[in-house]
Amino acid sequence: MAKFDYVIAKTMEDAVHLLNDADIRSIPLAGGTDIYVALRVNPLWFDRLVDIRRIPEMSVISQADDQVSLGAAVTFAHAIQNPILQKTAPFLVEACKTIGGPAVRNCGTFGGNVSNAAACADSLPALVCLEAVAHLRSSKGQRQLKVQDLVTGPHKTQIAHGELLTHFTFKTPPSHAKSCFIKIGRRKAQSISRLSIAVIGSVDQAGVVDYIRICPGAAIATPMLFPEVQALLLGKRPDKEIIASAADQLVAEMIVSTGRRWSTEYKEITLKAIAERALNKIFLEDGQHAN
Amino acid sequence: MTNLKYVGQPAQRVDALDKVMGKTKYVGDMSLPGMLFARSLRSELPHARIAKLDVSPALKVPGVVAVVTCDDFVNHGNFGFPVSDMYMLAYQKVRHVGEAIASVAAETPEAALAGVKAIICELEPLPAIFEMEKALDPDAPQIGPDRKDGMHPNFLSHSPVYKGNPVEKFKECDVVIENKYETVMQEHAYLETEGGLAIPTPEGGVVVYLSCQSPFIPRNDLCKTLGLPADRVRVIVPPVGGSFGGKDDLNYQTAGQVAALALKAKRPVRMTFSREESIIAGYKRGAMHMNIKLGADQDGTLRACKFNSIYDSGAYSSQSPFTGWRASIHAMGAYRYDDCSVDIDTVYTNTSYAGAYRGFGNTEVCSGIEQAIDEMADALQMDPIDFRLKNCLKVGDVTPHGQLLNESVGLTDCLLAVRKMSDWDRKRKEFAQQPASAEKRRGIGVSALFHGTSLGAEGLDEATATIEIHADNQVTLTSGLTDYGTGARTVYTLIAAEILGIDPERIHVHNPDTNTAKDSGPTVASRTTILAGNSVRVAAQNLIQNLDLAAADLLQCDAFQIHRVGEQYIGPSEEPVSWDAVVKHAREMGLVLSAFGRWSAPEIHWDEEKGTGTPYFAYHFGAQVAEVEVDTKTGHTDVINIWAVHDIGKVIFPQGAYGQLYGGISHGLGYGLYEDLDYQEGYAQAHNFDTYLIPTSMDMPEIQGDFVEATFSAGPFGAKNIAEPAMVPTAPAILNAIANANGRRIRQLPANLERVMLGKELTKKGSPFSCKVALKIT
Amino acid sequence: MQINFTLNHKPVSIDAPTDITLLTLLRDHFKLTGSKEACEVGECGACSVLLNGEVVNSCLVAAPSVMGCDVVTIEGIHAEDGGPNDLQQDFITKGAVQCGFCIPGMVIAGEALLSIKSDPSRLEIREALAGNLCRCTGYMQIVDAIETTAKERAGKQNPQKREN
Repeated sequence: MAKFDYVIAKTMEDAVHLLNDADIRSIPLAGGTDIYVALRVNPLWFDRLVDIRRIPEMSVISQADDQVSLGAAVTFAHAIQNPILQKTAPFLVEACKTIGGPAVRNCGTFGGNVSNAAACADSLPALVCLEAVAHLRSSKGQRQLKVQDLVTGPHKTQIAHGELLTHFTFKTPPSHAKSCFIKIGRRKAQSISRLSIAVIGSVDQAGVVDYIRICPGAAIATPMLFPEVQALLLGKRPDKEIIASAADQLVAEMIVSTGRRWSTEYKEITLKAIAERALNKIFLEDGQHAN
Repeated sequence: MTNLKYVGQPAQRVDALDKVMGKTKYVGDMSLPGMLFARSLRSELPHARIAKLDVSPALKVPGVVAVVTCDDFVNHGNFGFPVSDMYMLAYQKVRHVGEAIASVAAETPEAALAGVKAIICELEPLPAIFEMEKALDPDAPQIGPDRKDGMHPNFLSHSPVYKGNPVEKFKECDVVIENKYETVMQEHAYLETEGGLAIPTPEGGVVVYLSCQSPFIPRNDLCKTLGLPADRVRVIVPPVGGSFGGKDDLNYQTAGQVAALALKAKRPVRMTFSREESIIAGYKRGAMHMNIKLGADQDGTLRACKFNSIYDSGAYSSQSPFTGWRASIHAMGAYRYDDCSVDIDTVYTNTSYAGAYRGFGNTEVCSGIEQAIDEMADALQMDPIDFRLKNCLKVGDVTPHGQLLNESVGLTDCLLAVRKMSDWDRKRKEFAQQPASAEKRRGIGVSALFHGTSLGAEGLDEATATIEIHADNQVTLTSGLTDYGTGARTVYTLIAAEILGIDPERIHVHNPDTNTAKDSGPTVASRTTILAGNSVRVAAQNLIQNLDLAAADLLQCDAFQIHRVGEQYIGPSEEPVSWDAVVKHAREMGLVLSAFGRWSAPEIHWDEEKGTGTPYFAYHFGAQVAEVEVDTKTGHTDVINIWAVHDIGKVIFPQGAYGQLYGGISHGLGYGLYEDLDYQEGYAQAHNFDTYLIPTSMDMPEIQGDFVEATFSAGPFGAKNIAEPAMVPTAPAILNAIANANGRRIRQLPANLERVMLGKELTKKGSPFSCKVALKIT
Repeated sequence: MQINFTLNHKPVSIDAPTDITLLTLLRDHFKLTGSKEACEVGECGACSVLLNGEVVNSCLVAAPSVMGCDVVTIEGIHAEDGGPNDLQQDFITKGAVQCGFCIPGMVIAGEALLSIKSDPSRLEIREALAGNLCRCTGYMQIVDAIETTAKERAGKQNPQKREN
C-alpha cells in the first residue's frame, strides 16, 4: 500500500483542480529535490503528488517587451543555458550555477527553490533584486506577490494550500545595469550558502548611480531589499568610501534584523567584504552587464 | 630484481571490469529467496541504563519474523579486543547515541522499522561525560568496564616513549616553544554503508557475507557469542565499498545481529545501514588534545620534545589502546632528539566511540607535531624544509625510541623532491612579499611524516597465502588479508605472476573466506602489501619448486639448467616447452599443484613501561607540500596545489599506488578544512553528506605525486606500504600553508571558515532532536 | 500504478507503487543494482542515471514520473558486444576504480558530460563530477579517464586531426 498517490497534471487548470481536491491533500511535484529529502525526516504531510513538470508553459522562459517570464518548473540547468536570462539577469544565472551538482540542477526548479524558502536558497537573492513577482493560481483565481513578500520566513511562504506557483515575471533591468552574485560555502561545490549576496546596479552617463538593488542571502530570516542601503548609493558617484559605507550600513541593518547570533561575529565581517566586492565589481571593475 | 615483467610495470586492477559495468555485487545488492530485512533499535541517549526492554510487541507487528537482544547470545554477546567491553547488542547499559539495543528481522524494511518502533524500551538517563579532560575526575560517572587494578574505570591506556630528560634539556635550549593542538572526530565516509547478510546452514550453522576488513575476527566472535564451533561459522567478504578502518567492530556487531536473527528465523537475513545510521552509530577517528613543547639550538638542531596528550576513545575501547600506542611512537615526528618524553592517555567518554581510521593515531599527532616543527622553524627564522632536512631521520640514525635505522629511509629524498617539484624556494620568497592589504593571500606549507609499517609491537605479525593450479590451468590465490578497495588483489596477482612467470590473467584471487583462506591477522595498518605480498611470494616460490621438477624431467636436464622466458621453459638442448606442458607433466608425475606460503615479520620488541624499543620493523617516509589561497575576508581556503613524494619502497602496482596517494590526500584535505561531526552532548549534528562535508571533485586540486623507492630488504621485491600514510601529512601541510598565507596559526582542526577568519570556532547550539529523527528514517 | 518507459534502450512496463523513487524502482523492481544507494538525499551521486539523456539522482526522482521517459542506468552502458565501452575501458586503463561503489554514477556523469561537451577541460570535467562523491580516489584518475575518452572520441570524429 503506497503511502501517497501520484498524478500527472497536463494543464494548469488540471493542476489547480487536482491541488484543490478536498478529499486528498495534494502538493505540486516539480524537481523533487526538496520533497524527497524532506520525506526522509518529516511525517507525511500530503496524500498525493501532482506532477506539474509536463505542463508545457511552466517550463518556459520568455520575454515580451520589458517583461521576462520564468516558468516555475524551469530547472536551474535550463536557466543556465538560457539566452534571455544570460542577457537580462546574469547574476541569477551565476547563482543557479552554484546550486548543487549537475544532477540537482537538472531537476531542481525555481518554483521549488522559492516555495521551499530555505534561508540559504540561492535563487532568492537575485530574484528579490529583480523585484520578481510570483504568480499564483488557485480555484479562487489568480494573485501576484513580490517574491520578497511571498517568502515570510525560513521554509515559510504565503502560498496557500491548493495554490499553484505558476511563474515569475520581472521587468528587465536598465540596459546599462551590471550585476553580481557572490556565495560563500564551506566547499567549492555542492555547498550550502554560508552567506551570499546579489547586487544589480547602474550609473548614468555622468557616472552617478541611477539604479541599485542589494539582497543578501542566508543573512536574515527572509531575503529582502535594503532601501536605506540602496539610498546611500543612489545619486552618488560610486567610490571605495561610499561602497564601504553602504556595506557597513548593510551589516548594521542585518544585525538589527537578526540580533546578535552565534554566527554574527563571522557574518558581520564577511557580509561587509562580499558586499564591497560585489559593489566594486559592478561599479568599479568589469562586472557582468545585465541586458 | 632487474627485468621485472609485472611488478612495478603498468598494470590494471583485476577487479575493475565488473565495477565499471555495474555488475559488482556488494552486500546491499545481494538478495536471496525468503530473505528478511533487519533493522536495529538504537539508543537515543548518550548514557543510560536499560530499565525495561520488552520486544514482544514487535513480534506482533505484521511481517516481523524474529527479534534478538543480548539475551540471544552467549555471555550476552560480549566481545572485543584488546578490551572485551562491547556486546553484540547492548547489555544493561547504553554508552553512546546510536548504540544498538535490539534487532528485528521482517519481510520488508518497512515492517522491520515498524517492529523497531513497537519495542518497549525504557532508558533511564545516567550522568554522561563529553569532555575527555573530565573523564578521569574522581567523581566522573563510570563508562568503562569494572576493573580490579584500582585504576579509574574510564582510564583505558597510557602509551609512553622516554629518552633522557627533556625537562632538563629545555633549560639548555636556545629556543623553546610550547602550544596546544586539537583534533576532532572524523567520519570514514565510505560510499557503501555497513551491512551484512547471514544465511543459516542445514547443519545449524551460519554463513555471513560481511562488508569488513578482517573476516577471521567476526568468525571467532560469532563462534564465541553464538556458541558454535568453528566449522559452523563461515564469514565471506564480498566486494567492499570502502572501509578505511571503519568496517570492523561496528560491523562485527552487525554480523552478530544478522547471524542470530538468521538462526532464529531459519531464513537469510540482510541488514544494510542508512547513511544516517552509518554516521550516528559508526565509530570514528578519535579526537585528540595535545600539548607539544619543543626545544632547539639557534643553529637549528632539535634537542628535546615533550608531548602530552589525551585521546578520546568514546564509549568503547575498540582499537584505541593500539591507536594511542601508534600515536605515541609517531608523536615526535620523523626527527632526532637528544631527550624526549611522550605520554598519551586514552580515556572513555560518551561521545560516540573511536576506532581504526586511516593513519591510526599518526594522522592525529602529525597534525600537531608538524605544525609545531613549523613554528619552531619560524622561531629560529629558518626555512621549514631546511629545518626538517637538518633534523630528519636518515640511514644510520637511532630514533628517539632507541631503534637503529639501517636501511630504507628515504625522507631526505622526499623532502628534496617536493621542494623542487613545488618550486618551494621561489614561492616562499614571492609569498613573503605579498602586500599587507592583499585580501586573497597565497601560502605554501610542508609536512613530513614517517609511518611504521604493519602492526609493529601491537601484536603477532604474520600472514599466509595459498596458491593452486586447477584442472583448467587457472591459478587461484587465497589470502587471509582482504582487498576492500585498496588494490591488494592486483598486488597479489602481480607478485604471483612475476614469480611463476605466467600471464596475470591466468590468476584469480578468491574472495576472502574463512573456510578457504588462512587467518593472517587483521587487514589494517597498511600491512597488506608487505605481509600478504610476502606470503604470496613464498607460496609462489614453493609452488614453482614442483613445476621446476616437472620441467627438468620433461626437458631431461637439471633444474638449474632451465631458464624461463615468459611462459616458456628452456632447457640446454631441447625445444622450449610451454608452462601448460610443464603443468600437465607435473600432474602426470603426481606432483602437488598447490602450495602454501607463510611470512612472519622480523622480530621487534617494545617495553611498555620504559617506553623504548624497536616499535616497527620498517618505516614509510614521505613529504607533502600544499599551496593555498586564503581569502582573509571570508576565511575560505582554496587548496591550489599539492605535491606529494613518498618513500614506499619498491612500487609493485604503480597505478594503484598513485590511487592510494591521491585518495589519502583527499581524506587529509577534508580533515584539515571542514570535516566535523560537531558533537554536542554526545549527539552528532551532521548525519548525512549534506552536513558532513567531504571533498568534491572541485575541492581537490590537481595533485603531483611521485615515489622514492628506498627499498626494504625484507619486503616483497623491496616494497613497504602506502595506504594510511598518504593522508597523514596533508592536513598539517595545509595548516602550515595557511599560516604562511595569513600568519594565522590554526591549532584546532578543522580550519573551517570561522577559524581561518576569526582564529576561533563559533558554535551553533545543536539539539538531540535531528539525531533522534535520523535514527528512525524509513 | 502501471509505469511505461524506456529502460536501457528497451520499452518496459511495470506495476509499481506510486510512493517509491526511481532508485527503488530500479533496484528492487527491476533488480538493476548497478545504481547505488548511499545517501538518498541527492548529495553523493552514487544513484546517478540518465533521464532523457541528462544526469539525475534517481533517489530524488518519483518513480511514476518517468512515464514515457528514456532511462539509462549503468547496465545500459556498454559496447555493442556487451563489454565495456570506451569510457568504461578508460576508467579501467587509467586506474579510476578503487572500491568501485561510486563508479557507476561516475560513468553516468561522465557520459552525460561527453554528450553535451566533446572537448571538456579538466576543470569542466571536475564541474561535471561535482555531484558525485568518491572517498577512495581523490578524483584524479577519474578525471584522467574522462579526459582520455573525450580525446579519443574527438579523434574518431576528426580522423585527420588525429594524425596531426
